[in-house]
Amino acid sequence: MEDLNKAYRGQTTLRRKKDIGYSITKWVVFAVFIIYGASLLFPFIWMLVSSFKTTNEFDKNIYGWPKQFYGLNFIEVLKYEIDGQSILNMFFMSVLLTVLGTAINIFFSAAAAYTLSKFKFIGRGFIYGLAIFTMVVPIVGTLPAQVQMMEVFNEIFGFDDNTIFGVLFLYSGAFGMNFILLYSAFSSVSTSYLEAASVDGCGRIKTYFTVVLPQVKGSLVACAVLQAIAYWNDYATPKLFLPRGHTTLAVGLQILQEEAGGNYPQIFASMIISIIPVLIIYLIFQKKIIESTNAGGLKG
Amino acid sequence: MEDLKDLNINSVSRKKATYAHHLTRRKRDYIFIILMLAYPVLQFLITWSFVNIKSILNAFQVQDVYGNISWGFDNFTTYFDTLFNSTKHASGVTWINDTALVLLNSLAIGIVTVFISLPLSLLCSYFLHKKMPFANVFRAIFFLPNIIPVVALTFAFKISFDGNIGYLYEFMRFLGFPSGFFAKAPYAGFMVILYLIWAGLGYNVILISGAIGRIPKELFESAELDHAGYFKEFIHVVIPCIWPTVVTLIVIGMTNVLTLYLQPLLLTNENTAAVYTISMSIFLDAAGDGSAYGKASAFGLMMSLIWAPIILLTRKFLSKKYEGVDY
Repeated sequence: MEDLNKAYRGQTTLRRKKDIGYSITKWVVFAVFIIYGASLLFPFIWMLVSSFKTTNEFDKNIYGWPKQFYGLNFIEVLKYEIDGQSILNMFFMSVLLTVLGTAINIFFSAAAAYTLSKFKFIGRGFIYGLAIFTMVVPIVGTLPAQVQMMEVFNEIFGFDDNTIFGVLFLYSGAFGMNFILLYSAFSSVSTSYLEAASVDGCGRIKTYFTVVLPQVKGSLVACAVLQAIAYWNDYATPKLFLPRGHTTLAVGLQILQEEAGGNYPQIFASMIISIIPVLIIYLIFQKKIIESTNAGGLKG
Repeated sequence: MEDLKDLNINSVSRKKATYAHHLTRRKRDYIFIILMLAYPVLQFLITWSFVNIKSILNAFQVQDVYGNISWGFDNFTTYFDTLFNSTKHASGVTWINDTALVLLNSLAIGIVTVFISLPLSLLCSYFLHKKMPFANVFRAIFFLPNIIPVVALTFAFKISFDGNIGYLYEFMRFLGFPSGFFAKAPYAGFMVILYLIWAGLGYNVILISGAIGRIPKELFESAELDHAGYFKEFIHVVIPCIWPTVVTLIVIGMTNVLTLYLQPLLLTNENTAAVYTISMSIFLDAAGDGSAYGKASAFGLMMSLIWAPIILLTRKFLSKKYEGVDY
């Protein structure tokens, strides 16, 4: 009996020791998470605080709190011109491309996804398979050909140089990740709704806009939010397909880093300006963004 | 009899009417399908077909200084000649030429993503799942690099190591780094890798957390009853259950070998040859005057033909592991 008690006590001590070991591991990991999280946040908090300092004050007091909040950095940097285009103009260019690009992309992705998921016709499987194939198989080295394609595009439409229309044409590709997400959303819409609408004399286009689209509103918003963030942050497309002087904020910021040299508070202010719109979207749609990333990632 | 005749006629005419109605319906369907798919399919065909066909043609085209075009394998043979015989060391790396360094850098990025970033993300996600305080706040913060413009993020990273104002500059100097981390080999490459790990965990954490969240609680409870520690639970319960997600992330990591260019490009302001990757050199050629289009296309084509099958085979091979795991 005593042996049994001893063994039981031994086991309990072992378990207690193990538990202590677990909680130490957990708290060490917690500390690592705090350090990693701080490393992600600190540069931006520091940039935000420093963007309210004058250049003189920043030179003397790099890490401290500003003596007084100098908001003019934001106004001055918005007026700052690169190749005759102000940062404010670049900001609006980014807004324009993001809004139009997202609208066009979601519109065509939804149209393609709905048609392929709900209508049976010759070639349906081929189009779907081809869309998936091009997404799965990575082909690099096609950028020069894309530049040449845009030269042809400009020639056909009589543009002297690259324009916003070319970028929007590239953004309007319907067979991307949004297509996959929306295809799955449309597949889960019951066909009985479509039949009921048809019996009520509702045409296909009206059914699509008034019956089907409202049912996948959640997926549409999620796709639109992720797409808008992607277009706002896009650097390569406007860099290659928009001329300097008519470019977006992302490209402008990279040039500004080189041109504005040591005027750190103003550079910081421009970075903050570029972050604020996406940060607001993230705060509002955080749950949706994470859910869609999850769904998109797994399906990809 | 008359009635029967009427019935037959009625039935035939009804059939005819249904058929006509059916035809109209199908016709209407097809009009709708054409309306809905015309632009998406046309845009896809123009961009995908034009770009890929033109790219293949570019790869076999050589243009002389007078603009005369000839066809052949020159772009390919020139590439291999440079790869094996070039003595160009603009990158500052002396033991390997610039062309080979591009391949090495790209492979290094793939290796870091698969063997460092992914295991770290797996551990992060696992511990976040273990009733970690503020787990959702951590997830939201870790995901931030995917939201912030890459130009701003790379700037925030490199400014931390800036010689004049960077708060981590002295620390790196203490570790033995010389000044100008982003301009010299091999330090520039190290900084790019450090950045990729720093900024790359959040996306993986979200995907892995989602997969871990779908594992039935009973599996964790039975592991606990069996006194399985963190390590055993992680290896024998978590990894087999989330294996499809792990395979997806390995594939994404391997694809990085071919596609990653923006981060090294922005971190070094395009100035450091020591960090060139496959797609970065193609991007710079595409942004140039057009003289290197053939070279860039041939290079991309070769790399895709070599690397894409490796990715697909790896995916197939890895997917077989834990194939029987079902829950």
